[in-house]
Amino acid sequence: MTGAPPQPVTAREADTRAAVDVKTLQAAGRLEEARERFAELITRHQRRATRIAFHYMRDAADADEAVQDAFIKSYLHLSTFRDELPFEVWFTRILINGCLDRLKQRRRREKWIAPPALDPSGVERNPAEYLPARGPSPEEQLLSEERRRQLTEALAQLPERQRLVFMLSHFEGRTSREVSAMTGLNESTVRVHLFRAIRRLRGLLARAPKAARPGRRVNRAAH
Amino acid sequence: MRLIDSVFRQGHLSEAALVEAVMTGDRPAHLERCEVCAERAVELGRWLDEARDLGREAADAAFPAERLAAQQSQILRKLEQLDQPSRVIAFPSQARLELREPSGRRVAASWVGVAAAAGLIIGVVGGQITARMGDRPALPPAAVATQTTSAQAPDADASATPVDTSLFEQDFDTIQLKAVEAIDDLTPRMTRAARIGG
Repeated sequence: MTGAPPQPVTAREADTRAAVDVKTLQAAGRLEEARERFAELITRHQRRATRIAFHYMRDAADADEAVQDAFIKSYLHLSTFRDELPFEVWFTRILINGCLDRLKQRRRREKWIAPPALDPSGVERNPAEYLPARGPSPEEQLLSEERRRQLTEALAQLPERQRLVFMLSHFEGRTSREVSAMTGLNESTVRVHLFRAIRRLRGLLARAPKAARPGRRVNRAAH
Repeated sequence: MRLIDSVFRQGHLSEAALVEAVMTGDRPAHLERCEVCAERAVELGRWLDEARDLGREAADAAFPAERLAAQQSQILRKLEQLDQPSRVIAFPSQARLELREPSGRRVAASWVGVAAAAGLIIGVVGGQITARMGDRPALPPAAVATQTTSAQAPDADASATPVDTSLFEQDFDTIQLKAVEAIDDLTPRMTRAARIGG
């Protein structure tokens, strides 16, 4: 048995295979196996999905629910998935649409219900403020928290589309064409939104205290 | 290089062109020649890398591995519930059908109120009419006078004719009325029973 070694499978191919398998198993009524196979897709895309949803929704609990809904929707509507389209693009579009719906709901709710929780100084609490920080020293921890808070606040000030395009293009490293497929925007519109987002973010963060600016991290090696 | 960059930016790349170059990795030839733009591109690239890292850190800190594991198990649990055939609880619908069958049709709730109001009005009006019809018409003064004199007449007769006092002294046991004799025979008399006892 000296067969040729199996060809390395790209992430896209692995996703497509898994999605097709789930579809076939669902059609055959082997639902438990379908769920097990779908769990592989969840594991591969969960982290990326939560990052997108977290920055888009600007709320950890809402992001959590949006991600769960997106996976459930994609499982239930997997029959509409076309093999020629990357699963990642198809799934991200479901996620973004879900996030948009939730944002609309939130805006409607905020018209009638009390404003969001404020801290004692009257500033809206940001999830990044009370998240467990990682850092070897209290100073590093504090600076890291401050930088994250500043960036999250600056991102929150971007218009929705600019924020989304910036996240997908930069945080997720997607090309303009992929972002266009995920969002339904033209490629040229994606590029314009990306440039405007970067310009605005740089402007906002330039006004922030020095410790909070990206590109000015404390050099641990120097200490 | 675009003409606009040559004219307005002293030959340097615009921000948009720089972003495009850094994001896509397609370095224009100008970057190889111009130290200023090369430095700007490096600075922009560093800034973008830092922003990406911070953005990811913020999201990952909100969703540590334990939370992701819990999220995944929640998703799979929901999918399992969705895959199970749904059960229909028949009780409420059956009960409602049974209640509806005898009457055959439903009565609108508003009609119940109307019927109650109508009943109340009919009752009040009917009561008033009945009360008025039951009243005796007022008698003329002459009739009243006649009644008054006739009411006083027995007293006058009583004073005129002497009362038979023997009736008061007579023992009731000795009074015999033919109409009640049959009942009287069946009933034991108290006085007789007292005598027998005494």
